[in-house]
Amino acid sequence: MGEIDAVIRVEGLTKSYGRFQALKGVDLVVERGQVHGFLGPNGAGKSTTIRVLLGLLRGDGGTATVLGMDPWHDVVDLHRRIAYVPGDVSLWPGMTGGEAIDLLGSLRGGLDEARRAELIERFELDPTKRGRQYSKGNRQKVAIVAALASDVELLILDEPTSGLDPLMENVFQEVVGEAKARGASVLLSSHIMTEVESLADRLSIIRQGEIVQTGTLADLQQGSRTTIHATFARPVPDAALAELSDIHVDGLRMTATVDASRVGDAMAQLTPFGITALTVEPPSLESLFLRLYEPDADERAS
Amino acid sequence: MAGTAITGTPPLLQAEVRHDGRLLAPWALLTTLLASSSMLYPLIFPTDEDRSAFAAAVGSNPAMAIIFGPAFDLSTTDGFAAWRSLALGGLIAALGVIFAVTRATRAQEDSGQAELLASGVMGRAARLMAAVWMCLVFAIVLGLVTGLVTVAFGGGWNATMLLAATMTATAWMFTGVAAVTAQLGSDARTANSLAVATLGVLFIARGVTYALDAPDWVIWINPLGWMTETKPAVDDDWWPLLAAVALTVALLVVAFVLQARREFGAGAIAPRPGPARGRDRSTWRLALRLNRGPMLSWTIAFIALGLVFGYLATSVTDILGGDAALQQMLAAGAVTDAELVSAFLVTILSLVGIIASIPGVQTMLKVRAEELDDRLEPIIVTATARPRYYASNVLIALGAPAVYMLVAGTLMAALAGAADVGVTFGDVLLQAAATVPAVWTVVALSVAVVGARPHVALAAWAGVLVSFALTILGPTFNLWDWVLAISPYWHVPNVTSADADWWGLVWISLVTLFFLMVGFAGFRRRDLATQ
Repeated sequence: MGEIDAVIRVEGLTKSYGRFQALKGVDLVVERGQVHGFLGPNGAGKSTTIRVLLGLLRGDGGTATVLGMDPWHDVVDLHRRIAYVPGDVSLWPGMTGGEAIDLLGSLRGGLDEARRAELIERFELDPTKRGRQYSKGNRQKVAIVAALASDVELLILDEPTSGLDPLMENVFQEVVGEAKARGASVLLSSHIMTEVESLADRLSIIRQGEIVQTGTLADLQQGSRTTIHATFARPVPDAALAELSDIHVDGLRMTATVDASRVGDAMAQLTPFGITALTVEPPSLESLFLRLYEPDADERAS
Repeated sequence: MAGTAITGTPPLLQAEVRHDGRLLAPWALLTTLLASSSMLYPLIFPTDEDRSAFAAAVGSNPAMAIIFGPAFDLSTTDGFAAWRSLALGGLIAALGVIFAVTRATRAQEDSGQAELLASGVMGRAARLMAAVWMCLVFAIVLGLVTGLVTVAFGGGWNATMLLAATMTATAWMFTGVAAVTAQLGSDARTANSLAVATLGVLFIARGVTYALDAPDWVIWINPLGWMTETKPAVDDDWWPLLAAVALTVALLVVAFVLQARREFGAGAIAPRPGPARGRDRSTWRLALRLNRGPMLSWTIAFIALGLVFGYLATSVTDILGGDAALQQMLAAGAVTDAELVSAFLVTILSLVGIIASIPGVQTMLKVRAEELDDRLEPIIVTATARPRYYASNVLIALGAPAVYMLVAGTLMAALAGAADVGVTFGDVLLQAAATVPAVWTVVALSVAVVGARPHVALAAWAGVLVSFALTILGPTFNLWDWVLAISPYWHVPNVTSADADWWGLVWISLVTLFFLMVGFAGFRRRDLATQ
């Protein structure tokens, strides 16, 4: 395959804290103009990877390139072109939100005044409150406004919406979509399924310091199973259930799963028994997570 | 009602002691070291001649009286112990409990820990109650350990236990003060500053009143004066301690009343809406802003110090007039008034320098606190180079103390220069300026620690402690010059003396430069703190 235009390229990245190995060879590629979902259970190494990409930590081994630069050595030039929203935002207790936004914006090299005003409006943020008076969600809004009000090529978002209410969550998704439309690339770490499902072009899943899966949502759903709930007119003999697994039969009602590529075959075998009600659920991201996060997922993933 | 307000105190107290006990122990260790090391007096000053010479030296330098209080009797070991440990021991014990009370009350509210506790089965006053009990009991333990260890090393029972009891009593009073300030300030830093400022003002006021032979009532309106008036090893009066107990009770009553009236997380001063737009748009402005409050308070403190010490300098010769031995030396031409005054100024400016290094170290530790609170991260991920961020803070850490020195120095110079005591305005100001490089060395050590070894951030205080121990306490131990020379203040020349050696300042500045390089290299290279 041809050389892709990557904004982030990580190969074999390792990082240890004392004897604990937080990253055991992470490979990650984020293409230009895409939103890349970065998922994994708590403590899997998401934030450590992100902090290496930001030049806050220095990787022990492997390589990491962000916008073609070394995140540890080319800090200043690189940081002019990226913006970051952490999951845990800590503000200066005596400084107002508006002041914090202006400070961070100026240090990045200026921000877009019109967009600043618009974002404050849309997120319903009161910029005159002091840092210590904000709730968690409002502190997060301050960081989001500060990051998105500047014109950057790459946004790195580490669980940016963990404290936002559903309305604000929607606003956030719109705003990230607009950033993408402007041509920005996004690395988005999140636990919120709908957010990832609606925003991400590609996903990488990290577990215990290693990337276990990477690809588009459709790619990842490939190997997973569709759930079928059906009610029949007549009892179904076991022979007709050959394609199915995880079967639960309760009288004439049945719940089972089937390999996503074999849904048609299974239906052909079940139709003769008079289906009176039917739901077919494609594999949800949530069930995908549950499968990939499980400790024994290694074998299946590899 | 009073019953339910303190429900839950015992388990809370238990948790508090387990959590904070380790942080309190060093303060008791310090007072014990201070008092018990005084038992070395017979070794250091074995003969009566030695002791009276030492007493004359102490008597001839009012700077000593400000730090240690008056020396009532230096002919006995117990008298020496009382002189050297009473004021400082009380100061140490009081600082220990101030920080402990604030930690267990205000700091918990700041961090949100208290919210978890407050929602449990716990009375409104339980947290304050647990903090107060812990400190009151700790003060007794501190007194007992200090007293018993010192007695074990040869201290007289009555004098030593009274001396230790003054430390306990001082700690009790400042438990009360801190309990009140924890209700007044709306965050831990404000609460601590209010309590420490109260302690500082009373401490300096006591020293000055004794140095100036002020009327009795001035001594008695100062609670720290009560402690000195117990006169361990001379009069052995225990009854002033009763006044301390009464004051403690009164302060605690005030604290609990204030506590019952205020809301969770609120202080006496409510925050108002601020500007929607920011004008601080560089790391330099940010550093300046974060240090603005402390800089204002310290400037006021150094104006006060400059006035007090300057006034003292003008009356050095009067104060010394009563000292017979010294009068003879003056008459014989062995020393001149001007020499005495300039010796006094060198010592007192070293003390001012040591005090000036404290805000410098605080500024550097604030950098570390910002890092641990995740407020450095958003700065570093902007187009800000780490050295630039660090440099903004180092500039304040070095610049502010230099300004404080010059502020205090100018005031002292103006007062002493105008009083015709043999020193000129220029001499005093030059002496203050010559002390600045020593302050920088001490602050630079904290720059190195925070930059390269932030895990041992407390080591940042090492310079302040060592220079205080060696420059102020060292002479009372008759220490060798090469030990005293570890303190950068030892290398500050007396600018009025003809053979002033300015090379010392060059050497310590090289050390300063080395510390700064270590600090910058470390901060550039290391990982930033992660949770």
